[in-house]
Parts: sequence; structure tokens; C-alpha cells
Amino acid sequence: MDVSVKPFGLSGLKVKAEGRLDLENAVVFGTTVKNAIADSDEPVQELVIDFEKIEFISSFGLKVILELYKCMKEQEGTLKLVNVSEQIKNSFRMVGFDKFLELD
Amino acid sequence: MFKTIKSKIIVSTIVILAFLMLAFGFHTIFSRMNAKQLMVQNYRAFMTAYFDEISDSVARLEDNLKSLTLIGGLFYKTDRSYELTDRAITKIFESYPETLGGGIWFIPYKLDKNKKYVCFYAYRDKNNKVVIDRNFASKKYDYPNQGWYKQIISEITPEHNFVWSKPYFENQGSYAMMVTMGSGIYVDNELVGIATVDWEIDSVFEKISKMKPEDRAFSMYQKGKKIENSFALFGNKKQDYILATNDPYLEEEKLVGRSLKAIPWYAENLFYITYIKYHGKKYVPFEFKDKNSGITLVICVPKSEMFRSVDEFYIMMIIIVLLFVIVTLALVYYGLNIYLIKPIVKLTNIANKISKGEDVHIKVEKPEEFAQLASTFDKMTSNIKSITKEKEKINSELSIARAIQLSSLPSVFPAFPDNANFDIYASMTPAKEVGGDFYDFYFIDDKHLMFLIADVSGKGVPAALFMMTVKTLINNIAQINCPPKELIKDINDRICKNNSEGFFVTMLSAIVDIKTGKIIFVNCGHNPPMIKKNKGEYEYLKMDSNIPLGVFGDFDFELYETQLEAGDIIFAYTDGITEATNTEGELFGEERLEKYMSEIKEESSVYGILNQVRSKISDFVGSAEQSDDITMLAFKYQNSEKRFLKQYKSLASVSNYKSFYTWLHEVCKDFGVEPELMNKLDMCAEEIYANISFYAYNGEAGEINVIMKKDEKNITMVFKDNGKKYNPLEKPDPDITLPPEERPLGGLGIFMVKEMADDILYERVNNRNVLALYFNNLK
Repeated sequence: MDVSVKPFGLSGLKVKAEGRLDLENAVVFGTTVKNAIADSDEPVQELVIDFEKIEFISSFGLKVILELYKCMKEQEGTLKLVNVSEQIKNSFRMVGFDKFLELD
Repeated sequence: MFKTIKSKIIVSTIVILAFLMLAFGFHTIFSRMNAKQLMVQNYRAFMTAYFDEISDSVARLEDNLKSLTLIGGLFYKTDRSYELTDRAITKIFESYPETLGGGIWFIPYKLDKNKKYVCFYAYRDKNNKVVIDRNFASKKYDYPNQGWYKQIISEITPEHNFVWSKPYFENQGSYAMMVTMGSGIYVDNELVGIATVDWEIDSVFEKISKMKPEDRAFSMYQKGKKIENSFALFGNKKQDYILATNDPYLEEEKLVGRSLKAIPWYAENLFYITYIKYHGKKYVPFEFKDKNSGITLVICVPKSEMFRSVDEFYIMMIIIVLLFVIVTLALVYYGLNIYLIKPIVKLTNIANKISKGEDVHIKVEKPEEFAQLASTFDKMTSNIKSITKEKEKINSELSIARAIQLSSLPSVFPAFPDNANFDIYASMTPAKEVGGDFYDFYFIDDKHLMFLIADVSGKGVPAALFMMTVKTLINNIAQINCPPKELIKDINDRICKNNSEGFFVTMLSAIVDIKTGKIIFVNCGHNPPMIKKNKGEYEYLKMDSNIPLGVFGDFDFELYETQLEAGDIIFAYTDGITEATNTEGELFGEERLEKYMSEIKEESSVYGILNQVRSKISDFVGSAEQSDDITMLAFKYQNSEKRFLKQYKSLASVSNYKSFYTWLHEVCKDFGVEPELMNKLDMCAEEIYANISFYAYNGEAGEINVIMKKDEKNITMVFKDNGKKYNPLEKPDPDITLPPEERPLGGLGIFMVKEMADDILYERVNNRNVLALYFNNLK
């Protein structure tokens, strides 16, 4: 899975990934993003994950998103998911993540 | 608190003792009163004797006085011989030893106009000799001016010719408190003089002080002693003055001679007064009167002194009774503990131990009743033990029988996952008692499937045994390829042969050609099955019913043949459903069944159909107990040309996962699954795949077998693995309403699977985990 993490603004990180956020990829994806947050010079205030090219999310992917949310919450930052397809939104709704995640 | 035997007995004892004490109390009060009255009477009798002596003395003094009066009269009327008179006076005094002295006193100048003082006076000297003293007839003494003389002369009248003077202190001879009694000397009704006798009052007290009715309780007050003693009052009631008293409070107040009423405690009716209160102390007064002379004597005895012996006796009695009560209570308490409570506690403890299954013997030696109870208890326990053992044995045998019976029914579902032409599912929910319901299905050749559902008459072990025989027999005969009509006849004949107990079996059986859909039913006295033709409603399949199997042999059974189309469903059941009863006694019935069947979701799998029927029945039955086995079977025919069946076999591991979902995507594409459902399948498949890999195989690569089936309405996905027992449905659901900070990271996957799949079936069969997911596939 290709994951690219780019800083934006003063303290923002934008994540782009392509493919399936599943058993095979979720852990790699999560580790990459968490490392990027840790490596950032400034504390990350805004994390944006672009779901445009993500075609599938499984429970493993959902688990990683929850981890990232908690991680951002700890450093008083925000997590935003953009370009989320209706199908993936449904998956978030099923487990109640839509109550606290910012989905766009 | 008062619920135990112990407290009840103790309370009863206390009540009884209280009654006894009450009775004793009344008795004590009355007897004490009697004793006191007796005591008072004794005192009075005793004192009366003394008072009588005093009265006697007074009477004798009076006699003495009368004699002197006579002598005085004689002297006045006759020769007036002094010598004779002296002698007479001496003689009289000698015969009245109480008299201290006395004399005859003429009124001045009465006897002789020239003589003012004419008197005779005699007294007793120290040697008790009567001496005539002439010194009183002198100017020096001037008797007419003495108080006693004046008082007596002024008070006497011919009618009351006897007067006591007030007490006075005599300072001439005897130096003592004296009282003088006087009487007038009348000559021809003319008062010429008086005669007197002197009496030393202290002699009265001397007498009284010698009284001792009882050693401790009585002694007269003496000067300088505490007023714990009795005291007395001596008075003249007629003339109303105090003659003498040794009342320690009055002694110094010079009350002698004054009115009796001056005494604070004195009262007119002292006789009726039980006690007087005087200077903070209670005294019992005893009053004695002499009507003639008017003298009165009151003796006051301290109450406490007087009744001390009585009170001490009763205090002693009370102490003894209280001791008796305490000792009785203690004995009752102790006795209860030893003879009642201890054995009961012992029995209870042992009973507890026995109820926990410990092997204990009971032995209580006394009291006899408990020894008997204990031995009965012991016998009972050993009886119970052997009965329980027996029962346990029977129970365990029964449950083994039940398990064998259940395991004899086909229980691997999906039953033929790799056969694309049909789906079959059956279930039996056994009642508490072993019953005779059963179902079965198997291929009798490579294209004919036989399925049947049956109910052996009766219940219990015999029915279960017979059921096993019948089931095996049918299975054996069915394997012999022969026309259905002969087959069922043969089955019936053989059951009849082996039926010594007179059982019979109702059965619905069918043989389906799975290639063509031709189906042949035979109904042997069983509930009619239901059929759902494609896109229609469930309806009862009307066919001729035959006799139940095992009634009699050589019977020609009527068969019923029909053609099934793809999607047609057969639903067969036993009377456990139609005769299911709710708490109000209502039967479930065929009509209700038909109504509920029409409510079953169109797209349900065979598994889903049975599940929905089962939940409808349990809703209807509620808390009522299930009385009969509930057995049902659903068969769904598929058109083979529209069928899809794919299989995947590999090792489950993260690295192989990609090959799995690639296969899955290809199958979905082949099946023409819509993207939304495909997403669901993708998510569920991944979760189950991961579970098998992580939990069933603990992360080690193990064999996984996945079958995907599609018919017009359903996608079925069956996972099989050889890993350790792992039922993902047993995982509790996560709480998805929790705030994100509190939500655990795990547990989401299975929850999502449960949400997305329409039916899930897990079974552990032959050391394999089989998990089937059913998805409705309505376009």
C-alpha cells in the first residue's frame, strides 16, 4: 500500500493512501502515520486523511482510525477524513464512529 | 427475636415465674400485715398488764385517800384526838405502800377560830417507816397558799370529789416530781378540809422502763440516749394535763402540767392511728386509759424497731425467692442449651454437611428423643444417599441416552455445502423428557435425496429406544434401491414385526430427484407439510394420509408426487409445534402456523426460516414449559442451471490473505454481486479469515476451506477450519455508544459481521469449526 504523508500549514499533516485499509495494510498504514506524527518538528494540530483512493476499509482499518483519533486527541489536535465514499461512510456509521469523526 | 424455641421457653418460664412471684408478693403483703397486726396486739396485751398495775396503784391511792377523808371527817366531828388520828393515819399508810406521803388539811379557821393551820402529814422515811410530820402546820409552809392546795380546793365539788393536782417538784423532803391527789372532807355537806396523797410520778416510768416485751425491739428512752427508743406520755385525760413524759423533745419544754393538746403528735383518737410521724421518725402509739381516774398512758414505739424482726424476715424471704427465680432461669437456660439447642445445632450442622454431599454419620446420645431423631435421620440420610445415587445414575444414563439420540440425528449444517441443487436444514428442540421425535436425510443414490420427519407415539426411554430402532431400520432399507411404494411398505412391515410394545410412528417422508425436482411424498398419519411455491405463500400441501407406521402390516401406502421449481421450499414439522401451549392453555395450531409462515422473510435461508419459526413459537409459549419435542425441517430446491458454487482451499495466514480476497472478488464478479453486498462480504470474510488465523490457529498457518454458494435469493459463505474450538458468536458486543476515548480497540469486527450477515450458524463438528454466513441477495 502506498502511503504519503505531507505537512501543510503550520502544524498540519495530510495523509494520502491508495488501496485497501484491511488486515494486510492497516498496521503498515497506522505505523507510517504515527511515525510521521512523532517525527514532526511542531506538534501536529491537524491530521487530514484523504480517502479518495481508499477503496475498502475493514475492522482492522477502523481500529487504526480509532487509534489515530485517540492519538490526536491526546495532543489536542483534530482528525479529519476527506473524500470519504458513501460505502466507507456506512462502515463508519455501523460502528458509531460517525458520532465523533469528522467525515467529509 | 422470639422465634426460636429457646426464647419461647425462656419467655414462658419468665411468665410463669412472674405469676408465681405476683402470688408470692400478694401473700407476702397480706401475711406481713397480719404479722404486724399480731405484733401490735401482742404489744398491747403486754403493755395492758403494766397499765393495769398502774391503774391498780391509782385505785389503791384513791382508796388510801378515801380512808384519809374519812379520818379527817371523824376528827372534825368527834373528839378531835390528835393521837388517835396520828395512829390511824400511820396504820393506813402502812397498808398502802405505794403512797409516798399524804395528809389531812383543814380550811383555815374552820376547826378552830383561833387556829389557822390544822393539818396532819405523814411520809415514808428512808427506812420505809411512816413518820408523822407536824412541821407543815406552820406559817412557814403556809399550806393554804400552796399551788396544789389552791387547785384542789377550787376544783373539788361534792359530785367530783377527787382531783389531781398538777405535777410539781417537791423540794421539802423527797426532791422528786410529785402529783397530789386530793379529796374534799365534807361534813354535813360543808367542805371543811381536804385529804391528799402524794405520788411520785417517776415511779410510773420506773415501771414502764422495766417493760421488755421483746429483747431488741423495745426499750424506754433514757436521758442521754439516742431517740431510737420508745417514749411514753403519762397524763390525766379527765383534767386534761400532762402528768409526765419522757419524750426527749418535750422534756425540756416544761410541758408538764399543761394541756395534752400541747403535744405535737398527740391526738384524741390515737387508738385508731397506726403510726405517727415525729421528728422524721415513725412511731406506733399505744394508748391506755383508766375511765375512773382519767389517767392515760401513751407509749410510742419506733415503728422500725418494732417491726424490724418482721421486716427482716420478709426481706429474707424476698431474697430467697429472687435467688430461686435466678437459679431457675439459669437452670432452664443451661438445660435448654445442653438438651435442646446443642442437639439441634448438631443435627443442623450435620444436615448441612450432608446437603453439601459430605459423608457424615449422626450420633446424638441424649436426650432420648434426639437420639431417636438422630438415628432416624441417619437412616434417612443413608436411604437418601442410595436413592440419590440411583437417581443420579438414572439421570446420567438418561442424559447419555438423550445425547446419543440427539447425536444420531444429522447435525452438520450446511448439510451438503458442496451440492448446488438444494439446501436442507432441520432441528429438534427436545422437551425435558426424552421423546420420540426424529428427522433424517441422506442420498439413497447419486441423484435421489430422501428426507423424513417422524414422531414415535409415547414418551420416555421406551419411545426413544423405539425411535432409534425405526430410524436405523429406515436408513438400512432406504439404501436398497427399490421403488418408493415397495420401500415404504417394506419399512412398515418390518416395524410391525419388531413392535412388541405396540408403538406406532407418524412420519412424513420424501424422495427428491435433485436433478429434475420431481418429489414423491408419503404421509403416514403425520402433520401435513407446507410448501412455498416460488414467489407464492406457504400453504398446506394436501395429500392423502395413510396409517401410521407400525399399526399393522401388509398395507398399501398412497404416495403423492409433485414437481418442484427452483426456489420452492418444503417445510415439515411435528405436532410439537401445532400443540405447543402457552400459559393460558391455548394451542399454537395450524392456522397460527400458516399465518406466521406467511410473515417469514421472503429471502430467508433454510436456516433463517427455522430460526424465525422457533422464535415465533417461543414468543407464543412464553414462560410455559415445553411439553413435547419441537422438530422441523426445511428443504429448498434450487434450479441447477442458475446455481453457483465456488470453493477455496489454502492455508490461513496474513500473507495468504491477498490470494483469498482476490478469489472472493472473482467469485463475486462471477455471481454478479452488487458492490454494496460485495463490500459486506469483503468485510465479513476478512474478519472470519483473520479470526481463524489468529485464534483457531494461534497465528500459525492452518488449513482453511471456504465455500461460496449463490441462489436466487441468498449468498451463503461457509468457513471450515481444523483449528481449536473457536465460536466468534460468543464474544460480547462492544458498546458503540461509548465516547471514543473509552472505546476499546478490539471487538469491532465480529460485531460488524453480526450486523451485516442475515443469519450466522456456528457448529463444531468432528473437531472442525464450521461457520456459515447467510446474506440475503435481493435485487
